[in-house]
Amino acid sequence: MKELTQLFFPKSVALIGASPSEEKLGGIALRNLLGMKGKVYPVNPRYDEMLGIRCYPSIREVPGVVDLSVLMRPADEVPGILAEHAGKARFVLIVSAGFAEIGAAALQDEVIRIGREEKLRLVGPNCLGIFNPYHRLDTLFLPHGCLKRPKRGNVAVVSQSGALMMCILDAIRMANIGISKAINYGNAVDLDAPEVYEYLAGDDTTAVVVSYLESVGDGRRFLEAARFLSERKPLLILKAGKGEGGRAAAFSHTGRLAGDYQVFHSLMNQFGLREVAGFDDLLDAAKAVSYQRPAPGNRVCIVTNGGGSGVLAADECARQGLELPDLPEEVRIGLRQAFPSFYTIANPIDLTGQVRIEDYPKALHAVRDQYDGFLVIALTGVPGVTLGLGEYLRTFKEAVGKPLVVHIAQGGVAPRLIRQLAQAGIPVYRSPERAVLGLAALLGSRGGWHG
Amino acid sequence: MDRRDELRHFLGKHAGTKVLPEQALKEFLRESGLPAPASLYLPLGAPFPDFSHLSYPLVAKVFSPKIPSKTDVGGIRFGLKDAAAAASACYDLMSIKDVQGVILEEQAQPGTEVIVGGIIDPQFGPVVMFGLGGIFVELFHDVAFALAPLTRDDAFHLMEQLQSYRLLTGYRGAAPCDRETLADILVTISELMATGLLEEIDLNPVALYPHGAMILDAKMLVALSSPHVSSP
Repeated sequence: MKELTQLFFPKSVALIGASPSEEKLGGIALRNLLGMKGKVYPVNPRYDEMLGIRCYPSIREVPGVVDLSVLMRPADEVPGILAEHAGKARFVLIVSAGFAEIGAAALQDEVIRIGREEKLRLVGPNCLGIFNPYHRLDTLFLPHGCLKRPKRGNVAVVSQSGALMMCILDAIRMANIGISKAINYGNAVDLDAPEVYEYLAGDDTTAVVVSYLESVGDGRRFLEAARFLSERKPLLILKAGKGEGGRAAAFSHTGRLAGDYQVFHSLMNQFGLREVAGFDDLLDAAKAVSYQRPAPGNRVCIVTNGGGSGVLAADECARQGLELPDLPEEVRIGLRQAFPSFYTIANPIDLTGQVRIEDYPKALHAVRDQYDGFLVIALTGVPGVTLGLGEYLRTFKEAVGKPLVVHIAQGGVAPRLIRQLAQAGIPVYRSPERAVLGLAALLGSRGGWHG
Repeated sequence: MDRRDELRHFLGKHAGTKVLPEQALKEFLRESGLPAPASLYLPLGAPFPDFSHLSYPLVAKVFSPKIPSKTDVGGIRFGLKDAAAAASACYDLMSIKDVQGVILEEQAQPGTEVIVGGIIDPQFGPVVMFGLGGIFVELFHDVAFALAPLTRDDAFHLMEQLQSYRLLTGYRGAAPCDRETLADILVTISELMATGLLEEIDLNPVALYPHGAMILDAKMLVALSSPHVSSP
């Protein structure tokens, strides 16, 4: 586990296939790497220096042993270059594509063999590599002008696919949450998700792990590592390839029913692991658990100023396995006296379009002890919803310390209110259903068997 | 003997057969403590044995590795009430093409039908499957899987994964099924799968009753090699 510290916080990095040109991938990667805290050694036999730093003809001439070598040369050159790394690097990150993913299994097997023989830890091939803003390490060959990097934060991304890692990084930046570490490990000939999970379990900057998977290699190893991590911090898994269909020519009924995804999905349940349904769900859940600590229980109270929005939220609660217990008798009597007669005193509590801003904290404080999590819906199209709500909710969250998410829609004060709430660590969603997804990620509604 | 030794011993008796005969398999399951009906195998051409130890009604089924579906060839006769009916059914069934013999067994009471199976998953190794029989499996694919071997707790959690789980607990006034016996079956099958000696098992259907259960049909595929050896 300590070993991966060298990968995420290398003191020295070589870039094989570096280029001075920002038109070339090796040039983009070099520019991105140069921000790093540590030594960077460009390697390219055609140059003596580039961007004002000394360039080396091969890894053999680079002084000492580098923690990480980033290999960006065509696939057929990779075995030869890898062999030159003997005794010169700890980790070799093979960015190059053109291996098993296009059917070139023999070439990939050769890479595996050389890695084993020369005791090199391999990442990839066919991957973007690593982004660690806490070390300013960025092996991505994507210009910042094309993919703006997210800020520092507490969300770790572990993605089998490079494209999905880019999409997740971009969505995380847009959602105004930050990254602790991101890794795309591609064909996973050596480093695979389980080892990264175990490392992240002990990584203090990471509070949440989001992971995109297509396959899991050694399934039992994956389940054990995922459980180890998820017992320590939230792990949100998005699995692609949900198609049905077992083995058509199977001997037994069981074989015909055992589609890859059906088995995967069941075993996730068995191990108490949380699977999200799709990309939006992944981000909605990640935002919630990045902002707030998950808590036990699944009893939710909804406070809304729009009846329809409250009903949609209630429907989604049912789908997510969240309960909406009725208000206790004494709460109902109290609120009935405090509120106008046309408010609905039930769960959801409907403050209607004639809401006064102080009604929100009044309702919330009345139910604070009876419920495990809270969803506030504020439709800003009515004059009663003012910026004051931000302060009320911040105070409530700090006093109560239970999960609280908000759905805000319509114009007026909405943009400013959303910013205020984000600063207070309260996630805001643009639909009632998505807000419920966020809340579900914070509550133990889908706790697994062993959780 | 543990599961692995028992299974080894049983497979040894049928060395060279990849698909095991149903009656031998049921006998093995009975010896493993699982409920399978008492039965008798009548090979083609052999004299009629004494089957007076079986209680009526009986059911007669064809046996042949070449017949994948007994129903499709009219190879099952139910409700045989006495020796004469049983003998006549066996005689008829022996004349079906490719038949190697006939299995005569005690006819089970109808119950809630479920399917219990096991496979070797390419990523996860031995896993157990559980589903409700009939349309729940066929139409809704309402099945769930769990890593083998299972603990008893795992077995109950596996049952609860089904959307149709409530049908086992006494839905709309029906008597609840015997989930303890079902758990026995799931655990035993999971232990057999975890030996790595088998490729697939199919108990389909298993009839569940308020008290007890009965494995009505069973299939087992022996592994050519045993890469997934369990470590209990």
